[in-house]
Amino acid sequence: MNTLTAAPGSVFDARAAEQELLHRARALTARALELGAAEAETFAARARTIAVRFEKGDLKLTQVDDGSSLGLRVFRDRRLGFSSTNQADPVALERTARAALELAAMARPDEHNQLPAARPVTPLAPLIDRELARLTVEEAVERGRAFLARVRAIDARLSIDNSSFEVRCVTHALVASTGVALAESDAQASFSVFGMAIDGADVSGFHYDGDALRELAQVEPAMQRVARDFAAVALGNLGAQAAESYRGPVLFAADAFADVFISPLVSAASAIAVQRGRSPLAGKLGARIAAPLIGIEDAPHDRSLSGAGSFDREGQPTARTALVERGVLASYLYNGYAARVDGRMSTGHAAGGPRGVPGLGPHAVCVLAGEGGSRERMLQHLGRGLYVQRFSGTTDAASGDFSGVAKSARWVEGGRIVRPLKETLLSGNAYALLEQVLQLSTERERLGGAALVPAALVDGVAVTAG
Amino acid sequence: MHETDPTDLLTEALQRASAPFVELRFHRKRARVLAVEKGRVETAQDTEHTGVGVRVLEDGTWGFASTDRVELGAIRLAIDQARAAARSSARARSERTPLLPHIALARGRFEGAGVAELERRPLAETLDLVLRMEQQARGASSSIQSASSVYSEVFEEKGIVTSDGARAWTRLVRPEFRISAVAQKDGEIQRGSESVGATGGWDCLFRDNSAEQLAERAASRAVDLLRAGYPEGGRTRVLLSPALVGLLTHEAVGHTVEADFVLSGSVAAGKLGQRVASEHVTLCDSGASEFHAGAGGSIAVDDEGVPTQNTVVIQDGILRSYLHDRESAARFGVAPTGSARAWEYDNEPLIRMRNTYIAPGDATLDELIAGVADGYLLEGAANGQADANGEFMFGTREAYRIVGGKKGPLLRGVNISGQAFDVLRSVDRVGRDFRWDLGSGHCGKGQPAKVDAGGPWISCEVLLGGRRA
Repeated sequence: MNTLTAAPGSVFDARAAEQELLHRARALTARALELGAAEAETFAARARTIAVRFEKGDLKLTQVDDGSSLGLRVFRDRRLGFSSTNQADPVALERTARAALELAAMARPDEHNQLPAARPVTPLAPLIDRELARLTVEEAVERGRAFLARVRAIDARLSIDNSSFEVRCVTHALVASTGVALAESDAQASFSVFGMAIDGADVSGFHYDGDALRELAQVEPAMQRVARDFAAVALGNLGAQAAESYRGPVLFAADAFADVFISPLVSAASAIAVQRGRSPLAGKLGARIAAPLIGIEDAPHDRSLSGAGSFDREGQPTARTALVERGVLASYLYNGYAARVDGRMSTGHAAGGPRGVPGLGPHAVCVLAGEGGSRERMLQHLGRGLYVQRFSGTTDAASGDFSGVAKSARWVEGGRIVRPLKETLLSGNAYALLEQVLQLSTERERLGGAALVPAALVDGVAVTAG
Repeated sequence: MHETDPTDLLTEALQRASAPFVELRFHRKRARVLAVEKGRVETAQDTEHTGVGVRVLEDGTWGFASTDRVELGAIRLAIDQARAAARSSARARSERTPLLPHIALARGRFEGAGVAELERRPLAETLDLVLRMEQQARGASSSIQSASSVYSEVFEEKGIVTSDGARAWTRLVRPEFRISAVAQKDGEIQRGSESVGATGGWDCLFRDNSAEQLAERAASRAVDLLRAGYPEGGRTRVLLSPALVGLLTHEAVGHTVEADFVLSGSVAAGKLGQRVASEHVTLCDSGASEFHAGAGGSIAVDDEGVPTQNTVVIQDGILRSYLHDRESAARFGVAPTGSARAWEYDNEPLIRMRNTYIAPGDATLDELIAGVADGYLLEGAANGQADANGEFMFGTREAYRIVGGKKGPLLRGVNISGQAFDVLRSVDRVGRDFRWDLGSGHCGKGQPAKVDAGGPWISCEVLLGGRRA
């Protein structure tokens, strides 16, 4: 039975949630072993959410949820099986255990299929701000309403398609037959705004902004910043005109730089991608892969970022991992399976939730700041050309080829923004162009509360104007 | 899947609910996934996500709560929580939502094709297929470094009961198959991939191509792209494949006619009855699978209990309808189109597309190619996005230059962009051979939705993001 179904606004009891999830995870793991699993691991998650959504400037819906899921991974004769359920009754748990073992009986053996050995995990400082975790439905509604009102008060031409405010209290627990028994709880407030500016017949492109925070005291200042930034970009999109086609330097704001260059690079740094022959970073450890000013690390102990946590999806300890130092590839990311293939320890990057087998990914990506100064200074470095704030397109992580539309784009002359742009396409190869990063800004942006990234001036980009 | 009618329990839970409007939605989702990469079984999983979502309209305000316990007491508690949420937030709502007008809602059982067939099909046979296809793709060329193959099937069962008369029980299954190959030569890596998805059984999934054909195409595309050049950028005439026509209808037009976006001021606002496309264009969004069985976004009843229909959005170039849920339909004074969809039990229904398409014309592909003096033929759909101002972009996987009505060698795919209605106005010919071709796709709008889209080949003008600017 799920004994923790909470009334809206009740205080989140992290300790009780952790104990209850550990109990359920132990029971499912033990049952899988009884049924014949050589190894078993249960990852459990419970989330209590209050979400307030606004549409067309009015409150649309308030939602309260409290649910949990358990995911069971088993190995039998080095064969993998996985099953998950969000049902807590004994029949569902028995079905889950049997399903995982039936799948394992079907799967092919793999000599590296084995749970990682238990390692000591040092808990982070508490991730729960009790003031935030005890927010009531009424308080959440009021904060969401105030945020929307703040955005709308900036300029009557702003049209907000939707905005939201959400408080989410989450508990994770992991129990494995290797002796791992870990639990951790977290509470975050997140908010977002999505909309455009309308001035007569001129409808600007969409823009969105938002943040996620763990400290209630930080929410209001962050809302002020996000409202101001959102309005500036959305209003600045009005009156968009055609760009000029050229190949040369483009200034990427943090969001666009992350989408085009950093996300595919981090994907390519997955040890599994390397082992499977779909990463261009294979064989390049210790080699230069980017301009010397590029430094990238994963910082799972940075409490200011939403992905912070003390252990990964397999119960391995997390730690700061330098991926790129001064343009040189310093490390790949490993989960337990990839580490065993390479005969080394996991870097603590097993990723995912209870509804799937553990994957591999970063927790909190940080690109080191540069010395290019503020945004205004970066525009001066560009001089003349394209400034793109958001990228709507694709970068293939295997080849590095990217192609897409420059959104919230601006034309720059003499180091100043002179007009917004429409129908402007960018293309190139991200891995080749990482060598041509000329400047990184001194300031970094929090991308949705999940990453810290500076703006970047990159040479050699193909710009096609409509 | 269970044989017990979930609407009995929901109806009992509803009996003592005193809110002006209550909607109960039971949703059981069971997914089985088999994934193989480079000979290794990456995933063999069976997952279940089940519960009841409760939406109430009280004090002119929506409240939503959910429970993962499918029991009378838990559902009644969720009703109380949804009512409390609505009352708590009513003060923040400036305009009261009126009670939804009475309409004929769905009642009865709606059984999709293929459920029993795929439940019976031994999973071991399917795993053998997934292993064989990965092996076939990986062995197709010495340039191929890696291949992956994934089969998934999602069984969905829903019970929808509302206080104003809906009582529907629906069941369906959505299988998908994906195959990808990665080729490498002289340090360059290229990927070829194919995917299919359907609402229905095995025959629907592999109706147009066998798994073997898909594996062969993925492998050969990865290898061929190693030698391919880049198209030039700029505004140009293109022939779009059925998959890309599907992306065009979905991204460029479909999102702009979702009534919630219209109310926010999308580019389609105020254009009903106006010409927005050439006379060659008739564009529809249907809950059924028109022309061929098995379109991936098919639903008989939407998540508000409204029977779905084929909504003609653009007829012969004239904008005729938006896509509506019950609330937006009431605001516009029209009937709902059966377009309210929720991803899982703990998601609220939103206005979403289902199967979106351009109706076929009469030209063969050869005739279309012969009609292009200077342009490109584009194939293979990647991702796409749309904007409020009608600007869209979507990715293509391969391109061929056409000069003087003759198709040239393979080039690498690029992203294309344009203004939705400008592109539709530029359509000068429409092919005759129709295909659903986005059945493995999902649409993202706060929550995912399973959709499909397609059409015939069409000729139109877009902005191409080529390499040489």
